[in-house]
Amino acid sequence: MARLPLEGIRIIDSTYVFALPYAGGLLADFGAEVIKVEGPGRPDVTRTGGYAGAFPENDLGDDWWNRPSTYNLIHRGKRSITLDMTDSRGRDYFRDLIKISDVVMENFTPRVMRSWDLDYPNMKKIKPDIIMVSNTGYGHGDGPYSSYPAQATTQEATHGHCWITGHVGEGPAKAGASFVDFLSTWTALFAIGSALRYRNKTGQGQWADLGMYQSGVMFMSEYIMDAQVNGREGGRMGNRHPYRAPQGCYPALGDDRWITLSVGDDQGWADLCQLMGKPELSKDPDFADLLSRQKNHDKIDEIIGQWTISVDRYELMHSLQGVGIPAGPVLNSKDVHYDPQFKSRGFLERVDYPKERQMGSRLFIGRPYKFSNSPLAIQGPSPTFGQHNEDILQGLLGVNGETYESLVKDAVIATVPTTGEAAPRIPQEEALQRGRLADWDPDYLQNLGLV
Amino acid sequence: MTSTQSPQTSPLPTPLPHGPLDGVKVLDLSEDIAGSFSGRLMADYGADVLKIEPPTGASLRRMGPFFGDDPHPEKSLFYLLMNLNKKGATLNLETVTGRNILRRLVPHVDVVIESYRPGYLADLGVGYEDLQKENPALIMTSITPFGQTGPYSQYKGEEVVNYAMGLIMSISGVQGKEPLKHGGFQAQYEGGLNGAASTSMALFLAGEIGKGQHIDVSITECVASSAMATQTMYPFMGGTLPRRPATGSNFGHPMPCKDGWIIVQTGGGASWADIANFFGDPQLLEPKFAEPAQRLRNTAEMDQVVLESIKERGKWDLFTKAAEARMLFGLVQTPSELLECPQLESRNFYREIEHPVIGKVKVPAVLFNLSLTPYQFLRPAPLLGQHNAEIYVDGLEYSSEDYVRLRQLNVI
Repeated sequence: MARLPLEGIRIIDSTYVFALPYAGGLLADFGAEVIKVEGPGRPDVTRTGGYAGAFPENDLGDDWWNRPSTYNLIHRGKRSITLDMTDSRGRDYFRDLIKISDVVMENFTPRVMRSWDLDYPNMKKIKPDIIMVSNTGYGHGDGPYSSYPAQATTQEATHGHCWITGHVGEGPAKAGASFVDFLSTWTALFAIGSALRYRNKTGQGQWADLGMYQSGVMFMSEYIMDAQVNGREGGRMGNRHPYRAPQGCYPALGDDRWITLSVGDDQGWADLCQLMGKPELSKDPDFADLLSRQKNHDKIDEIIGQWTISVDRYELMHSLQGVGIPAGPVLNSKDVHYDPQFKSRGFLERVDYPKERQMGSRLFIGRPYKFSNSPLAIQGPSPTFGQHNEDILQGLLGVNGETYESLVKDAVIATVPTTGEAAPRIPQEEALQRGRLADWDPDYLQNLGLV
Repeated sequence: MTSTQSPQTSPLPTPLPHGPLDGVKVLDLSEDIAGSFSGRLMADYGADVLKIEPPTGASLRRMGPFFGDDPHPEKSLFYLLMNLNKKGATLNLETVTGRNILRRLVPHVDVVIESYRPGYLADLGVGYEDLQKENPALIMTSITPFGQTGPYSQYKGEEVVNYAMGLIMSISGVQGKEPLKHGGFQAQYEGGLNGAASTSMALFLAGEIGKGQHIDVSITECVASSAMATQTMYPFMGGTLPRRPATGSNFGHPMPCKDGWIIVQTGGGASWADIANFFGDPQLLEPKFAEPAQRLRNTAEMDQVVLESIKERGKWDLFTKAAEARMLFGLVQTPSELLECPQLESRNFYREIEHPVIGKVKVPAVLFNLSLTPYQFLRPAPLLGQHNAEIYVDGLEYSSEDYVRLRQLNVI
């Protein structure tokens, strides 16, 4: 009876970079057949250059374009076809694919899909109940920025997040990497789940037009309201909370080890003082009162930091949580693989590659939710470039052998990208020295049980 | 109106079809940001969402900002934002009667959203297992800091803790200082969006097979999912990414100009020559900056040249010129600039609403645009218990005597 939600749904994923490609990977986890479409001369940027991430054992291997970590995380469980969309044959097969699909995702600039007659009104002519999902920086339409180039890194400033991110008394800052991409990833899933349900009920498809800028601004809503009705511009408060105090990120025992905690009431403060071995502070008028703690936050931070710096971060978390104070260590890309909570929930999923891929076994982020009745899971490794050209063109679309050969000969399809190159690799020791890596564990495969 | 009338000749505007979740009924038991946002997104796209609060009001009603800085329970702007388009009733789940009423509501709904401590509802006898007996197609979406299972499931979360354990802080901020979280409550919004997204998938399946399920969303795992480009460094090559150095890496980070901050990145449609020309300093064409590999070694020097060249220039002028040069470029906007943004205007992003206590305000409304069943504003957030009579008297058919009793017994 257990069934994946999107079994039997076919999705064309003609998207690049992070946002919708990652949605495509998650849609495959949900059971959809996801077909990634790339141009022979337009490989996804997660295969090339600075977006690629790491290579297995820092080794480009023979087919470097199939090996980058970011490409492999995002494109898990998909099928891959190459089609040169600048060739009319490529566009014709793309149209044929649309006819037999439920959803098409694309993130070209608005002008491109129009020029190929593949904007929504035209797509609807090809398949009347198609669900189309577009993702652009500023959204389609006639707005002043609609044609502006955009990408998550620079949009983080424009959609307001940098304004509210940063240490107290310092300039705006960024957090994480490519934040707003993920908002589009998750919005696309919501749009697709809802639109598919509507289509099954009414027989009608539609166009979901996502603008990353807009979703970024949505996550600023309370600041915008405060500005509107109270004339307050918000700003930066580091790791502090608007009314809970103390809250912050403090050094723990060891190099670059940190603990976060947040106290919101008098009992929490008394318990914290007890744990710090300074019960008298809970009676000290400078700290005893909620408002005085807010006022003397700097002083409290110093006191807390003097305690935490000589205690292990996990020990801190367990003792603080033990008395009901929200607390947790800062986890990095290594820590998350060994943390008991993430391990217990199987958040990182193992993917075993076929031998000929020479990729071994790797762990990837799964999904931030579990379903009690649908065994959601990564369905398999990422495909190699054009791996399913033959299956899809000959098997699914019925292209004959002779025509297929001419497509190969004319580079309408390919299994090796005709452009792009791998980012130069830096040896691990040098990367450490130059501060490109914070840490390097040479025994990671053994430690992760991936040998 | 008959179907033969065209919209032009009709005396009334053509009604829009309801959203893609039309017909879906949701009980939103959550008191926090994440669960409430999840319910709001479903309401925005057509679901009929009923907010259920304790008689004292959801805790979000005590969270600012407040309208006119007046901390009145009907003036929390956070509550307003997270509960747009919902109806609202009060119900005390800590009473047997309250729980019986919940059990009577459950057969009429498709989804229950909740964000209590894992096990809390089950301890009261209204966990997923219990409620599913009343309605086998029921979907329950639980959104909590660490999820329903695992050694930390009973631990308490706060935004800063979700951010710390969700990897993002390890790469945010600069070396030599403590790691930094995003401003605001991004993790809670992320939990809400993922709650809505996962629920839409379960609803699609339930429509096919008539069976629901329990969805267990972990807010910390939502944050960690946005660390996608970071996580794989370890299982691929044993590496851990650092925070950036405090100096010499300004590209991709805010830089001060005359009247604010801008941010620039290489790539997009602009060549290095375009970028050098934009900043207007010929030094940038020298190989030590023009060559990507050399540029990486001379970042500190390059930062100086760039900062000098923008120090007397305004952010809006830079923003427009950068777009002409097809550069990847941003400027740090303030909340009031976002409020007046012409691009958001063109997308019809804000809606003016009228709230019975707050009055007229403009709210950020539309997460994404849909062609056939677009976002619709139907109602502001409910006043405390606003729809009690509609739900309990009209809906569940309690007599008016019993309805009054329920109030007096602190059930509603």
